[in-house]
Amino acid sequence: MNEIQTKFYNAFIVKDRWLLYFKGLGVTMEIAVIAGIIGIVIGCIIALMKLSEPKKGHKHTIWWTIATVYVDIIRGTPAVLQLLIMWFIVFSSSNNGVLVASLSFGINSGAYVSEIIRAGILAVDRGQTEAGRSLGLTRGQTMKEIVLPQAIKNVLPPIGNEFITLIKETAIVGYVSLSDLTRVASQISSRTYEAFMPLIGAAVIYFVIIKVLTLLLEALERRLRKSDLR
Amino acid sequence: MISVKNLCKQFDTTKVLDNISTDIEKGDKVAIIGPSGSGKSTFLRCLNLLEEPSKGEIWFEGQLITDPNVNINKIREKMGMVFQNFNLFANKTVLDNITLAPVKLGLMSKSEATDKAMELLTRVNLRDKAYVYPASLSGGQKQRIAIVRSLAMNPDVMLFDEPTSALDPEMVGEVLEVIKGLAETGMTMVIVTHEMGFAREVSNRVMFIDEGIIMEENTPDKLFNDPQSKRLKEFLSKVL
Repeated sequence: MNEIQTKFYNAFIVKDRWLLYFKGLGVTMEIAVIAGIIGIVIGCIIALMKLSEPKKGHKHTIWWTIATVYVDIIRGTPAVLQLLIMWFIVFSSSNNGVLVASLSFGINSGAYVSEIIRAGILAVDRGQTEAGRSLGLTRGQTMKEIVLPQAIKNVLPPIGNEFITLIKETAIVGYVSLSDLTRVASQISSRTYEAFMPLIGAAVIYFVIIKVLTLLLEALERRLRKSDLR
Repeated sequence: MISVKNLCKQFDTTKVLDNISTDIEKGDKVAIIGPSGSGKSTFLRCLNLLEEPSKGEIWFEGQLITDPNVNINKIREKMGMVFQNFNLFANKTVLDNITLAPVKLGLMSKSEATDKAMELLTRVNLRDKAYVYPASLSGGQKQRIAIVRSLAMNPDVMLFDEPTSALDPEMVGEVLEVIKGLAETGMTMVIVTHEMGFAREVSNRVMFIDEGIIMEENTPDKLFNDPQSKRLKEFLSKVL
């Protein structure tokens, strides 16, 4: 056996190590998917809070203020630090690591998603809202029937992008000793004293997953654009 | 029917409407003319509170609608509005554009609203467009459908905000025909327009708004043939 084959064998084959990579990928995707869902839910709520209509004489609502503070704090601190705070302070007694990490990333992602959604709603022509309101529809009905369905088209592509970012960002869960794909690779490399194969291997797995997602997103975008022409 | 008392509208420090008072009676067809930036569109948009007046009162069918406790949505059901840019709902078919409000507001059942929409579409010769989306229509078709959408609510008054200004010239005629036909049914209408010939033909009163006030108001015949103020004379000499 030549050297490369030995390295490959040590990194992936021996003791069924390839299974560990897939388990790691499973943890990565589990955190990313749960966090993505939490992020979208929080993002919608925060976006609507930011767009709430102030009473006469007021510049903003209390909801706007709360949402703005939230987005500022999340965007103003590193995601790793947020994760450490959630792990060692807020949920220090929890033993469901994946869930705590998902929540942390979800809260983080929610801030970014809210800005995407807010921009998507604001990009819908004001005339659409005015027409709805002029017919006697309430603000809520106009939002639900007319503005949001149109905003979704603006919002889906950048949300997909945000999800891709999220998948890669989860690599920092190694800081709180969760065995995601990145950590598995680095553990194997420290056991075999050989970094090349495990690290490049993990990189290839990330790359393939994200390439497939990107292609799906592009297809979705093309479909959305087509329905504009109808 | 509509009574406006000392209406003022200010955007930050710019005064757009300065103490406007007027009454619009049932069956009136009021044309509002004036240079751009004069405040005529703002005046119209104040009537259904799409713009919130800074000061003054607006009464509609005996109700003070500028009162903050009034349910403006209920009032708007009775005031149709047609916009310069049509504003058809891009995510709905023509038929759904028309039936959305009457059905959602519980005024008609789905099938009643559909029947009504089809009848109105037939009246403007667009019955065959019921199931297409607005993106595939011409400007003139969009505006005729926007008018139908408002009419489906059985409004007591129709507000037109420069309904032909965004149209290609060859499509202006078809939209004006529909508005004229509507005027003949006795509908109360307020129309902001740059079409002087149309204003003259269809209205029973013309308001000339400039610098945020009603500078001159008269029957179309007198206003166009015998303008009093210097500003109106200047304006008419430019547009006629």
